[in-house]
Amino acid sequence: MKPLLPILGGIANVLLLLLVAPFFQGVLRTVTARIQSRKGPPIWQAYFDLLKLLGKEDIESGETPLMQRFAVYLSLATVLTLACLVPMGFPVPMNGVADAILLIYVLTLSGVCTLLAGFAAGSTYSLVGASREMLTMIALEPLFAVAVVIGAVHTGSFRLDTVLNGSVYAAGVPVSGILMLGVMLLSFQAFVQRAPFDISEAETEIMEGPLMEYSGPKLALLKYAQMAKLIIYSALFVALFAPWGSGLPFFLGWLVFWAKVCLLVLLVTLVAATHARFRIDQALRYFAGLLGVALFALVLAGYGY
Amino acid sequence: MMTPEQAIAASICLCLAGAALTLLVARNRVVAGWVAFAITAGSAALICWAVVHVFTNGPGRPAQFLTMPAVGFALRIHVDGLTSVFLLLAACVAVWAAFYSIRYMDHYADYSVARYYPNFLLFLAAMYGLLSTTDMMWFFFIFWQMMTLPGYALIRFEYRKPENIRAANKYLIMMQIACLATMGGAELISATGGMAGGSDAAKYDFDTVSAHLPALLAQEPLVTGLAFALFLVGFGIKMGMWPFGQVWLPDAHPAAPSPVSAMLSGVMLKTGVYGLMRYFLWLVPAEARGDFPLTQWGLAVVGLGAVTMLTGTFAALRQTLTKRLLAFSSIGQIGYILLGLGVCMMLLGATEFGPAAALAAAAFSGALFHTLNHGLFKSLLFLNAGSVLQATDTQELDKLGGLMRFMPWTAVTALIASLSIAGAPLLNGFASKWSIYIAAIRGAPVCGLLPLLAMVAIFTSALTLALFIKFFGGVFLSRTSATVAARAAGQPTLEVGGKMLAAQAVLAAGCVLFGLLPLLPLSLIDRALDSSRHGFGSLLADASAVRGHGLSGLIAGDSQSLYAPLAVAATVALMFALARLLARLGSASRRTAAPWLCGYVSEADIHRYRPSGFYSELTRLFDGLDFARRRAGPPPVAAVTEKTKEPCA
Repeated sequence: MKPLLPILGGIANVLLLLLVAPFFQGVLRTVTARIQSRKGPPIWQAYFDLLKLLGKEDIESGETPLMQRFAVYLSLATVLTLACLVPMGFPVPMNGVADAILLIYVLTLSGVCTLLAGFAAGSTYSLVGASREMLTMIALEPLFAVAVVIGAVHTGSFRLDTVLNGSVYAAGVPVSGILMLGVMLLSFQAFVQRAPFDISEAETEIMEGPLMEYSGPKLALLKYAQMAKLIIYSALFVALFAPWGSGLPFFLGWLVFWAKVCLLVLLVTLVAATHARFRIDQALRYFAGLLGVALFALVLAGYGY
Repeated sequence: MMTPEQAIAASICLCLAGAALTLLVARNRVVAGWVAFAITAGSAALICWAVVHVFTNGPGRPAQFLTMPAVGFALRIHVDGLTSVFLLLAACVAVWAAFYSIRYMDHYADYSVARYYPNFLLFLAAMYGLLSTTDMMWFFFIFWQMMTLPGYALIRFEYRKPENIRAANKYLIMMQIACLATMGGAELISATGGMAGGSDAAKYDFDTVSAHLPALLAQEPLVTGLAFALFLVGFGIKMGMWPFGQVWLPDAHPAAPSPVSAMLSGVMLKTGVYGLMRYFLWLVPAEARGDFPLTQWGLAVVGLGAVTMLTGTFAALRQTLTKRLLAFSSIGQIGYILLGLGVCMMLLGATEFGPAAALAAAAFSGALFHTLNHGLFKSLLFLNAGSVLQATDTQELDKLGGLMRFMPWTAVTALIASLSIAGAPLLNGFASKWSIYIAAIRGAPVCGLLPLLAMVAIFTSALTLALFIKFFGGVFLSRTSATVAARAAGQPTLEVGGKMLAAQAVLAAGCVLFGLLPLLPLSLIDRALDSSRHGFGSLLADASAVRGHGLSGLIAGDSQSLYAPLAVAATVALMFALARLLARLGSASRRTAAPWLCGYVSEADIHRYRPSGFYSELTRLFDGLDFARRRAGPPPVAAVTEKTKEPCA
């Protein structure tokens, strides 16, 4: 195996993610504005926002600024590492050094960094937001893990290229896969932290929670990580549940992949623009129900369905 | 040339002599501390020598001391690979606990150390003995009591607090029940059947029992079943398995001085793990596989493991005292070890599934690796809690906060331990959980419920994360509490002394080392299995468990799963550098300021968002699941007692 290819693939994925993420954010904002009969900002506004923030004054209000810096840098770093673990039109770059279980845990780690950032800032609103974010993670990590584990049970493998290729449907009658598709569609807004599950940020209520005390380049990094997560989760969803077309010739397959991601982002936007936020306890009850269905699907998968 | 068995006997004698010596010099706290440390280090050196000897030359013959053939009384010691791993863990944790004690015991100025160091050394000697004796009756009893009674004295060290006495009494009673159960089991499988000779000196020896067991299993399945159930109960009580663990463990751990809590949780619970592994997998000869219902026992252990981890971690989420929280999380982590062991047993019982043996070995390595890891990070966490206790004089999470500013090094080690126990990638907890998950999920063809149990473990891992975010965030991050501010007034730092920091730093380094190079401990475990070929152990040794590949990476289960921590670490480091570069791109200026409080000038202590308030939505949602709720300690303190409003100037 040539070691150069995965490295090049990783660089390509990371650069692609960094370039595209603000664009999708722009699309999201524009479409939301249209739905609400507003004109909305220009589609490139997210790029300008980031550039502007990078030059603004950086106010550190936590008790331990070093911890704040560490948490924020690591927050973007884990998301960029995820870019190397997820197929984004190209094969998975880090296929040879990591498997699906690592993927589950790095996804969690990226959330943990935001939490640590919130805790390090230490304002009451940050802590309320961090506590809510943690609760959401407790419910969401297993949901995604069930999807991956069902794929692993069906294919008997944890390799990223095997699992992240529609593996949930690999059983003869993919009952568990279809159940899981429903569960993931119903919880996808929460994975990408958009309404009705933007509970931990909740601008109108706790003023962006964990992000509240951040400004300047740190806020830029945290925002960037959030935008990138939308792409990462969309790519994961497409790879796990909508793999059709991945066998096409290179450029065509690449286009089909990004078209699917685009569709998913539009769906997220549509739902987010038309739904009101859940309360945290309502959301938890909702997730508990979904988790029950997901575990049932997992048992089905264990017995070969 | 000394044999490993003689080295173990010597280290036990050394500890006994040390106990007497520390009693003599106990008037001088510092001297007693150094003597205890020197004795512990000496015994640890002997242990290490024995372990290295076993790993390089293979196990020797069992050695016999103090023989009294009339009643089957003889101290038989045998050191094989399995024993070696546990001895190594005990020695390594004990050395740093003893080193930490030298300064930590200053905290208890009005209690004499004459009741501390001698008991500590007796406790340690007993663990060495219990892990290496092959006698299932007399010397099992002697070492068990030698571990229980000094343990009792150590737990009630602060005897002026009535709750500590109660905790110690509970511990004593539970350990005696466990002792009775285990000895009853031993009597059942050695006295019944064709070997009621009575005069045989080796009647209760592992080898004798093992030789008679196939016949007994075939003739008396009920009696042997009862005996193994008693073993499961006895060792289950010791290791804190549900439903027994909740009775004694969360009271005993916080009551003891912190280095003893570290020893209790890091090492003593592991003697129960050792017992289960030894009795269920090594005692029964592999050719008796047809008569021994290994799959059913495995299912029982897996089920108990899942319940143990879930209930332990849920109960931990409610705790408001640092060490009590850590004690409940020990129960949760024991659940992982049980799960790994149970999955291993189930897969060993299934002969028709192709990769079963390899996956069983992966599950076993995972369980044993997690045992080592838990020994490292949980003892570190207890030492962290001890440092916080010494610096602030409180265990209450609600009174702590913002300590990272005043105790930066303790905070960094606590962060490493917290992330390790939560299973963050690149640290040791992840590597061991990884093996267990893989074996459980790939074991689906043997039992369709195994992936579900792996899912329970992944869910518990998320709960553990929440738990340690609460612990670390509540104690070291968030805002400085009034208690901490009062303590820190007039001094730049609350950091504990260099000796205590050194002990914490070494354990934290162990977590990072095992996390980045998991092949190191895993090949140690491989070697251990190779030098303890008895019973099912030989099946495990023959199967390829987790193998290395390339850059210290791991491969398990027909290379269908792989994890190369160094490559992942390099990627994360590179991305970290990229993020840092990005943040510096605009050369933004930096300034510190107080957080924005919606117009209030400063924050009153009662307005802080306290750890007891975290996750209340979840604990309320899952009230029904928490079986240990009644014992979960006092409810959170009702907050507002005085009105403190400081409006905008």
